[in-house]
Amino acid sequence: MYNVFSYDGTFDGLLTCIDEILSTHINEDEVVIVEKDKYQPMFFDSPVYVALDKNRSQELRQKVINASDKITFKKVYYCFLSEAQNKETYIYKYIKLILKHGKKVKYLYHDDVVNFVEKASKNVSREIGKYMGLMRFNEIKGGVLYAQFEPTNDILVPISYFFKERLKSFKWIIHDKKRSKLSIYDTRMIKFLNGMNLNASFSDDENLYQKLWKLYFKTMAIEERKNLKLQRQNMPKKYWKYLIEKN
Amino acid sequence: MKRGSSIWFFTGAPTLFFGFSVEIEYIFGYYIVIKHSLTKEVIEMDILEKLQILGAAAKYDVSCASSGSKRETNYGIGSTFTAGICHSWTDDGRCISLLKILFTNECIFDCAYCINRKSNDIKRATFTPHEVAELTMNFYKRNYIEGLFLSSAIKNSPDWTMEMLYKTVYLLRHNYQFNGYIHVKAIPYASLDLIRKTGFLADRMSVNIELPSEKSLKLLCPNKTKESILKPMEFITRVGEEERNFVSAGQSTQMIIGATDDSDYKIISLSQHLYRKFKLKRVYYSAYTPVNNDPRILKVEKPPLLREHRLYQADWLIRVYNFTADELFEKDENLDLEVDPKVMWALRNLNKFPIEINKASYEELIRVPGIGIKSARRIIKNRVFHSLDFDDLKKIGVVLKRAKFFIMCNGKTYERHLIDLQPEKIKLQLTEKAAAQQRVQQLSFFDKEVFTSVITGEI
Repeated sequence: MYNVFSYDGTFDGLLTCIDEILSTHINEDEVVIVEKDKYQPMFFDSPVYVALDKNRSQELRQKVINASDKITFKKVYYCFLSEAQNKETYIYKYIKLILKHGKKVKYLYHDDVVNFVEKASKNVSREIGKYMGLMRFNEIKGGVLYAQFEPTNDILVPISYFFKERLKSFKWIIHDKKRSKLSIYDTRMIKFLNGMNLNASFSDDENLYQKLWKLYFKTMAIEERKNLKLQRQNMPKKYWKYLIEKN
Repeated sequence: MKRGSSIWFFTGAPTLFFGFSVEIEYIFGYYIVIKHSLTKEVIEMDILEKLQILGAAAKYDVSCASSGSKRETNYGIGSTFTAGICHSWTDDGRCISLLKILFTNECIFDCAYCINRKSNDIKRATFTPHEVAELTMNFYKRNYIEGLFLSSAIKNSPDWTMEMLYKTVYLLRHNYQFNGYIHVKAIPYASLDLIRKTGFLADRMSVNIELPSEKSLKLLCPNKTKESILKPMEFITRVGEEERNFVSAGQSTQMIIGATDDSDYKIISLSQHLYRKFKLKRVYYSAYTPVNNDPRILKVEKPPLLREHRLYQADWLIRVYNFTADELFEKDENLDLEVDPKVMWALRNLNKFPIEINKASYEELIRVPGIGIKSARRIIKNRVFHSLDFDDLKKIGVVLKRAKFFIMCNGKTYERHLIDLQPEKIKLQLTEKAAAQQRVQQLSFFDKEVFTSVITGEI
């Protein structure tokens, strides 16, 4: 018999939900957490919906950070951003482990929960790292920079904060085509929007710089050292769709 | 002026000549439009051609690192990232991180190996500081690049060239408030004052040493002397030690491999000297791609890529693993192309092995083939809790394929017969396995170990 809990799909919602479960003393092997919209009813269980409560999620966040450190908490967050199956339930178990062992939790190599979270968060941070370099902005009319991408994991938020630091004096939009999500930066703050799509036309300069970049990319390859396999190892094909130099 | 004078001329009888004056104005306006569109097109063609010429001329420079600098400001554009970021990979698999260009390829020098030498009949071009700055900014904001790598041939005089490089970097840092990564070459014979001024604006500077011995330098670069290269290098090191914010990501250099008969021993000894005395961050090795047909250069059919790879591995051993050049080489010789330099060293010193994993010091551990810095640290951390066996080593990340010949766990070797193997036999096993592995690898797509070693030369 499982105790099924559902949450609204946000990270804070999940933390609230976990906080609720922690306060109930249910046997941890019986807990299942699912996203509300993705839940498919089974025979015996009746899901309990836990509504988002910012205070409670903030409280749990602080508790976890105090028990371990920010790096460990970041792993929890990155794991949440991944597309791994049953990540919510694993995160719940991982948080329980953190509260018990502190930051030494990472040395529990043999534990399935720890392995799961390590693997998922590593996958996410690797993808963020790749997109730091492989994101391509186009200048559209009005001087706004516009980037499209289709990441495997839901990394729009962390990648947006990276570009906030980097392109702080430009207005820009990053568009996750796969999830129809946008982040908009107006030189002061970032706004995140869901369920939006955009059509934009290039600015006057854009074609020239795309031409220059393509030319530069072709020029830099040394023919005598050609190694397409190595190129694909470093830059797998899934990134090519929005790469100007590869189209 | 033309327009003004025509108006003044016609003021006497405006009505009479009204139509004419308008026509002139119309013609004049049209002229502006034509001139405008023409210049735009010319500029566009011009910049495309310049980028092609001056990008191609810079592609043999290996360094593309964008790491090691942390520049934090509240103003301006851009940031640097301590770990470095790659933005693309060219068809030869090398990472593009910086916009790597020459300021000019017009050169007063005549170095035998260089494609830009004075006596070559090639297309020449020179950027203006403004053009370089515009290119950098526009590439940067589209996230094509991490910053600028600005090198140059020597036009007019070394000081003129260095001054231009300085002006470009100054423009970027001050007028454009650019905070991304900038790597600038210091030009041999340029005034130290100019190099000093540039260094305060750059993240990294480098002087290419090009050839590993004075003899080769004399032979191939009649215009350069050892002095002209080492003087700015030493100067940058000295100022870097005295001042803050001067070349904060350090200094690097580059050597050409295979154009002269210098041995790997000479090359690695020189690198060691550069790391110890000049505190360089990196020495890069560039397998020589034959671009000139010059009798002074050794005949090379293809760039010696494997030799380059082995040199990078040896470079890691002296830079990170505390080896010395004299340990790695017995005489004036080249590295073994069949096995990596650490294996080569271990086979020559079999009397030091096998070592006991549960007792050996960190220094001993990192000298074992198949054990890197990371696994050595993990071994030290983990063996406090319980003594390690071969299964634990596998989990830690030790490459047993290589390590098993050189280690013991709790007094036992991996397989019983391994203990009395001869160096030749071990080498044979290692190379045979490597060959078999390579056959498998052509099928499997992603081998992490080989993958990282290709980029970093890490063993």
